[in-house]
Amino acid sequence: MIEKQTPQQETGAMSGPVTGAFGGLQATGIDLSRVRSKKRLRRDERVFLWISRVIIIAFALVILFPLVMVIDASVTPGQTFFVTSVIPQTVSLEHYQNVFDPSKTPIGTWLKNSAIVCLVTSGLSVLLVTGMAYAFSRFRFFGRKYGLMSLLLIQMFPAQMSFVALYYLLNYVHLLDSLSGLIVVFLGGGIPFNAWLFKGYIDGLPRDLEEAAYVDGATQFQAFWKVILPLTRPMMAVIFIFQTIGIYNDYILTNYLITDSGKYTVAVGLYGFLNAQFGQNWNDFAAGAVIATIPIAVLFLVAQRWLVSGLASGAVKG
Amino acid sequence: MGPPALFIEEEMALMAVAAKASGSRRKGFSESLYAYGYITPALVAMVFASFVPICFTIFVAFTNWDQSHNALVEGFHFVGLRNFRTILSDLRGELLGVLIWTVAFAAIATTINFFVGLFLAFLLNNPNMPERNFYRTILILPWAVPGTIMTTAWSGLLNVNFGPVNTLLNQLHISAIPWLTDPNWARFTVIMVNLWFGYPFMMTANLGALQSIPTDLMEAALVDGAGIFTRFWRITFPLLRSATLPLVISTFAFNLNNFGAVYVLTGGGPFSLGKVSGATDILPTYTYKLAINLSLFGLASAYAVVIFFFVAGFSLINMKYSRAFEAVD
Repeated sequence: MIEKQTPQQETGAMSGPVTGAFGGLQATGIDLSRVRSKKRLRRDERVFLWISRVIIIAFALVILFPLVMVIDASVTPGQTFFVTSVIPQTVSLEHYQNVFDPSKTPIGTWLKNSAIVCLVTSGLSVLLVTGMAYAFSRFRFFGRKYGLMSLLLIQMFPAQMSFVALYYLLNYVHLLDSLSGLIVVFLGGGIPFNAWLFKGYIDGLPRDLEEAAYVDGATQFQAFWKVILPLTRPMMAVIFIFQTIGIYNDYILTNYLITDSGKYTVAVGLYGFLNAQFGQNWNDFAAGAVIATIPIAVLFLVAQRWLVSGLASGAVKG
Repeated sequence: MGPPALFIEEEMALMAVAAKASGSRRKGFSESLYAYGYITPALVAMVFASFVPICFTIFVAFTNWDQSHNALVEGFHFVGLRNFRTILSDLRGELLGVLIWTVAFAAIATTINFFVGLFLAFLLNNPNMPERNFYRTILILPWAVPGTIMTTAWSGLLNVNFGPVNTLLNQLHISAIPWLTDPNWARFTVIMVNLWFGYPFMMTANLGALQSIPTDLMEAALVDGAGIFTRFWRITFPLLRSATLPLVISTFAFNLNNFGAVYVLTGGGPFSLGKVSGATDILPTYTYKLAINLSLFGLASAYAVVIFFFVAGFSLINMKYSRAFEAVD
């Protein structure tokens, strides 16, 4: 209901507040198609439609090809590269069994490490970011303006280039080569960007909400915890999901800060696994890659409709 | 926003009255205290993972910190601007080539991604196509797979000798293509793999922008007898440009720093004798190697500082253009 009151600008949901993405767009698209589908198509429209379909399907086949190749390799029995057909003649799950057999491959351990680091970091991150964004959105305090600007600047420092410093720092507090060390690093690293994103979201919630809570006798913290927090659940979900995907994908920091292969995350582990003995590991790698991809792909497809508007409002509007 | 939003609307009138009654009772000193309370937990995490490492990196940039000179081994000291002077003199050597390729890669990759994305969005934004959401979900898949893992898979798929792609080409009687081992092929491959990952973002962005274009404009042009392509070039494209330009600029900035796209796929290679940088090395991968392979941490940190100023300058211009600072009041 909030979003309906926001005037749609020229750029629509792209530059609008994050809330804009939850309503407007999809509704317009669906209405339009219903109106149109009742009409008989003109000849040029029909031709254009079929040409479009052919191009899109051809493109999709090319795009899907590498994914199909990896899935193929993961179900092809034995260790082999040679592809004889797109649809494998015999299907075997031996590589998937290998993935979860610690005596054969360490991929299962890496998946577990990734899950721990991603979930703990993203969970804590959402909590910390919420508080910070709330303060920047609702209070006027000494250092607010420069605080916000510093957040922007810090986010621009090439994170992968402070790995030398992080190495010595973690070494100093004895967290080097440990998952807890990674969690600490990722937790702090993601805050500036997410805080900006979240602040924009809270800015869009009416202040009257809290004022009403005060009138009813709520304390400051209750107004935050019981009134604002529940309303930000969609944004919390988005930050949680994209933080998770980002950490899952990290290569540089994890590769540098973790040397014990038993503590690798799945992205770093699989990279080394494939490159160590390319000939022997390709099919097990493929099975590991498929398993490692599915949870992230599902998360992404659930969250993707918020992504563009979220990114636009975070990067452009602030 | 379902039920909570409805609730908001119902209570709105009540709240306006309540707000007036309570006035501004939480201002000033106590307001600052509350604010610091909410910020502190996040700040503590940032101090450890951001502030200290950044200050430390800037500090190291002015020292001779390397394998044999560091805090653990002893014997490191300030060298003033020596590292920055090394960067400048590097410009006459390997660095120049790396810089040119970095900008070329980012520009080419971003442009191709944009136009492929725009083309697909244009085809998909067809109300006569009832199954377009199905196509969209399929076409968005490369964005959904975890980048590092799939890039690793790409490096396997494109392996010259054993890779399934070349095996398949072989069956079609096409001789093996050195995807990752010939300098020019490797550059081409890096851009193409980047396209595979990158076009869904541009497609989604363009689709969003296309759908926000008012339909009455289109209907009017249709009545006037404008064909599909006239409508696209005269109405859609001009409107699209203003909506997507900020995203294109930030994608360009992202690609300048796209470590994974290069390092995981080619490792920066192929390499020629006596050089640190390979044919596909971009600035971030090059400096990473200075630190990792050559242990020149002082020099690598100086590079980090330089890159920061570039990115910050670039972003400030971008934000000034898009007026992001108006939000900071």
